[in-house]
Amino acid sequence: MTARIERTETGASVPHLIDLAGLTKRYGAITALDRVTAAVDGKIIGLLGPNGAGKSTLLKCLLGLLPYDGAAHVLGLEAARDGAEIRDRVGYMPEQEAFLSGMSAVELCTYAGELSGLPHTEAMQRAHAALYYAGLEEKRYQPIDGYSTGMKQRVKLAQALVHDPEILFLDEPTNGLDPQSREEMLQLIVDLPDRRGCAIVLSTHLLPDVERVCDHAVIMHRGAVRFAGTIDDLRGTRGRDSELVVTVKADAARLGEALTAAGATCAVSSPVVLHVDLPANATSRLVFATARAAGLQVRELGVRRESVEAAFLRVLGETGGPGGDPPYRALPGEPGAAGGPR
Amino acid sequence: MSTGQIHDLGYKRYAGSRRSVATRWRVIMRHQIAMAWKTWWRFKAWLILAVLATGITIALLYAFSTSVFRIFAGLAGERPQFVAVLLPLSLFWYCNIAFFASLFVAVPAVAGDLQSGAFTFYFARSLRPRDYVIGKLAGIAAMLSLIILAGPLALAIARLGLSDNLDQVIALLPTLPRALAIGALGTLIYTAVPLGFSAVVARRGHAIALWVGYYVVFGAMVNALGRASSPLVASLDLAESLRTVALELYDLHMAGRRDLDIPVSAAVISILGQAAIAIGLVVWRVRRAQQTGVGGAS
Repeated sequence: MTARIERTETGASVPHLIDLAGLTKRYGAITALDRVTAAVDGKIIGLLGPNGAGKSTLLKCLLGLLPYDGAAHVLGLEAARDGAEIRDRVGYMPEQEAFLSGMSAVELCTYAGELSGLPHTEAMQRAHAALYYAGLEEKRYQPIDGYSTGMKQRVKLAQALVHDPEILFLDEPTNGLDPQSREEMLQLIVDLPDRRGCAIVLSTHLLPDVERVCDHAVIMHRGAVRFAGTIDDLRGTRGRDSELVVTVKADAARLGEALTAAGATCAVSSPVVLHVDLPANATSRLVFATARAAGLQVRELGVRRESVEAAFLRVLGETGGPGGDPPYRALPGEPGAAGGPR
Repeated sequence: MSTGQIHDLGYKRYAGSRRSVATRWRVIMRHQIAMAWKTWWRFKAWLILAVLATGITIALLYAFSTSVFRIFAGLAGERPQFVAVLLPLSLFWYCNIAFFASLFVAVPAVAGDLQSGAFTFYFARSLRPRDYVIGKLAGIAAMLSLIILAGPLALAIARLGLSDNLDQVIALLPTLPRALAIGALGTLIYTAVPLGFSAVVARRGHAIALWVGYYVVFGAMVNALGRASSPLVASLDLAESLRTVALELYDLHMAGRRDLDIPVSAAVISILGQAAIAIGLVVWRVRRAQQTGVGGAS
């Protein structure tokens, strides 16, 4: 099996970061991944889906840890055959604690580097560098057992980075962090592609995190990929030219009344911001004309975009099927989320 | 900790060669040894005890070999009998020291990793279950062999060195491979079997309790049963089986053991069988952990 290859303008072949073709994984009678086909690229890719959507199974297949039917390529390598090479070129930051007791951060990261094939000296140098990058320079000689949750998250990031991965899988990297630590972690993640030249696959339930850092998204539901593309595409598929966000200098309510009288549907979200659904065949000119007539000044006008959260719920809702699952509501614990194997 | 400041320390992408996957078990072996060496109570204390025991035994061998002792003992140049007995008897204390060392070195090896979630750490990398198992076994065996193999071998070499003449040296030469064989079997026992218990439960304390129960309590029970019924039952007692092999190889027949005549073949089969089952358990557990550890449970 070969990876699907894209041709650049110069004719050079560039494999997708992740390329899935008919990927199927069954646990007995349960189908965890059902003929998943997708080509995934991007710098920071959000992997989204309710519990039981198949994210973890997909991850294991991509790392070559589970046998499967179909094809799964990572960096152009077939996961079932080249799992070891893929794992050398991929970093994984687990959600749960995965430390060896009695070790300091620098010992753990050095060990991680050596296990990924680096010579000892190189592994040690890169362990220091990765811990510096993760902001643990002062604490790196202390035993990890005594670290706070935020520091442990940083160690997990550092150990995933130490061997210079080309793709970094991050599983709930901001779980359990206070707002400031969460912001710092997200900043580290945002900076990684440019500073380290690696792509990131971010598996998370926290959709604001995805909105904040991701440029691409893959949404999974009931063992299938429901969406794969850019965040703009995800939100933009719902955005139409007739749905606008208008910011005025003052008195959005008065503009709303005027536009309603002209046939639009309006919702005032603040004294200066107005959401407008234009009537059929109308354009944004109607807003400017109405504002001018009412003596109001339009400061900003844009097509209304869905939030990632709304787009995510919509994608899940659209794919629920007859008598399907309820929409995805409870983000962190999801007691009502779809069942099935992980 | 820094507040979001990012340091790169002149970062450059690694372009050198990587260690082959087939040799990564050595990294685990080295790590296993380094972690045990870190503290006094894990391994160093038991190694020092073994060195002391070896030193004292060599001193006794030397003292019994001197002409002054022989004259005082009235043996007129004949070497006393207990010099010949010292080598197989020394196994008694080497076994005990190796057993205590195995509690701190071997038993926590897999159970500790299960307890701390370290399998996710290991198997997110290009590591195969067999690399993990071989690395752990090799690391623990390297340490325990310093007690149960190097000790008896040092005694055998010392015994050889204290020979009266060349004929005696030649006559005693087979002692060396015998000591090696006994040491190898002992290393297998105190490495593989506790590691098997380590893989059965995911808590260090429980694994230690299981190994102590099996080695001490179950061993004593089958030993007593063997004396009352068939010696084959007693071959399940690991320490007794090892002693049986040692006494046979040193060609020593002790009066107190007449009621427990375990066949040597049964003793060897028992040791190899129990070690094989234990290694099988470790392999099963590690394979399972590899598939479930990364990315959450399935």
